[in-house]
Amino acid sequence: MSLAALDSPPNRPRWTARLKEFLIDRLGLETFAELAAKKRVPIHRSTVFYFLGGMALFLFGIQVVTGILLSLYYKPSPDQAFESVRAIMTEIEYGWLIRSIHSWSANLLIGVLYLHLLTTFIMRAYRRPREFTWITGLVLLAMFLAFGFSGYLLPWNQLAFFATKVGTDITGGVPLVGESMLLLARSGEEVTGDTLARFYSLHVVILPLAVLAVLGVHLYLVQKHGMSVPDAAARRYGGPEHVPSMPFVPHFLLRDMVGWYVALGLLAALAALFPWELGTKADPFGAAPEGIKPEWYFLFMFATLEQTPSHVFGLENKQAVVLFFSLVGLVVLAVPFLDRRADRGGPRPALSFLATWAVFAFVVQTAVGLGLLHFGLSVSVFVSGALAIAFRLLMLWWCALDRRRMSA
Amino acid sequence: MMEATSPSTPRRAWLVRTLQASVAASVAAIFYPVVRFLWPRRGTVSSAAEVVAPFTVAQLKSLQEKGEAPPPFNFDNKPCLVVLMPDGDLRAYNGICTHVACTVTVRPGHGDIFCNCHNGVYDLNGQPVSGPPPRPLEAYKVFRRKTPSGQEEIVVSRST
Repeated sequence: MSLAALDSPPNRPRWTARLKEFLIDRLGLETFAELAAKKRVPIHRSTVFYFLGGMALFLFGIQVVTGILLSLYYKPSPDQAFESVRAIMTEIEYGWLIRSIHSWSANLLIGVLYLHLLTTFIMRAYRRPREFTWITGLVLLAMFLAFGFSGYLLPWNQLAFFATKVGTDITGGVPLVGESMLLLARSGEEVTGDTLARFYSLHVVILPLAVLAVLGVHLYLVQKHGMSVPDAAARRYGGPEHVPSMPFVPHFLLRDMVGWYVALGLLAALAALFPWELGTKADPFGAAPEGIKPEWYFLFMFATLEQTPSHVFGLENKQAVVLFFSLVGLVVLAVPFLDRRADRGGPRPALSFLATWAVFAFVVQTAVGLGLLHFGLSVSVFVSGALAIAFRLLMLWWCALDRRRMSA
Repeated sequence: MMEATSPSTPRRAWLVRTLQASVAASVAAIFYPVVRFLWPRRGTVSSAAEVVAPFTVAQLKSLQEKGEAPPPFNFDNKPCLVVLMPDGDLRAYNGICTHVACTVTVRPGHGDIFCNCHNGVYDLNGQPVSGPPPRPLEAYKVFRRKTPSGQEEIVVSRST
């Protein structure tokens, strides 16, 4: 004992070393240590995009923690839901902070996921063997949109009531099974207390379990295949294996944590400066509130629904819109299989153009939804298409310039 | 190499200490509101100083003669029991058993107060007689009050 104590370094107590050894041995921690040591993050111009996934994961963690806290006081019934959220905002100490952070973090999370999707597309990180990473990512995005939609109803205020009414009504536009889906979503023909219970269960039990499962697969795949290197970076260094990289632990993780710390500060500031509103209690027989709008991440669909005429090609308005966005979703899901020259690093002009168009359409339609632009559907399509063409031409010119500089 | 030089480089040690202090401060700043949030809110039900029992002395008497007892009623957010003693005195108790907080039952037939959870027995004065209860039941002040209609109502107030 005394000899061993003399052997050990003077500023490290012997028992911590022994505890560490004990835990490593009994829990098999060396497996994780090996995995962590193997994981490396490439360094190139787009490395910053690699932070988005970790940021989404952090914000999801915030949602889990604040969500559990809110569930301690929230009561999911039409008689008590509004009152309990009001109590959280006014009576419970720091309840306003927890709820506002939950709402703000939800919005930031969706924003980060949209960016994560876009940058993954730009970097072509969906290429072989990462097709399932792409697909599970899209499934997760859909689940988080469902999280946002179901959570929105829970305070049982007038805005939420009508948002849910409209949102669930749109599912009625799905061909053939629409009506059954509508009944299933609302648990009846109208939005009632049963709908609230259903959405609550979806929000706090079903979706969290489902997200954990799919997220597990997504993260496993990221770990298994490693980080994807964009073509440009691989070409610059003469092959993806020559691109410089840094160890994930601790170099990239510490950078991740700086981002998380900033995000936490931003959330606290947003919650303190702009606490989330509660509105008035839902009145099923009251009129829809003036200027009612969904959250920003659904605005592009809302605007499209508003612009689309009552009948299109023999389809009703909402049927046409649901069909269109379902097709868009399928195309996005199929991107890894549509990009057929991906393996050889060949260009993907059609996909790139469609994606650019989609991004501009998203921006234009969101502006329309906000009431900043007053466009009809054809004007929106034309303007976003023209912007996409202009952007692609700009990019071509930029690349040509780059190539001339490189050869010179 | 870093480790070897760290004891002799106070600047680095200072940086590490500052980082540790910042992390500790951040953790405290995060946990403080969470703990305050978790703490139960102050009681929203005002506790009355005194309360009138939902039965009269005559009703209590006739029930007890049948060997029954009225159900406990709410006083100060606790179940309150009223017992009419054989000598005509009234007693009022906090009906929470001093063992592990079940609500006890008056058994006029047995002349005792009984706890169903672990067979604790108190006498009608609230003193533990047998079983696990460690202390007597908390007693309240109780008195009769004549109503305009000539009934005698039972008023319970706090013992202090």
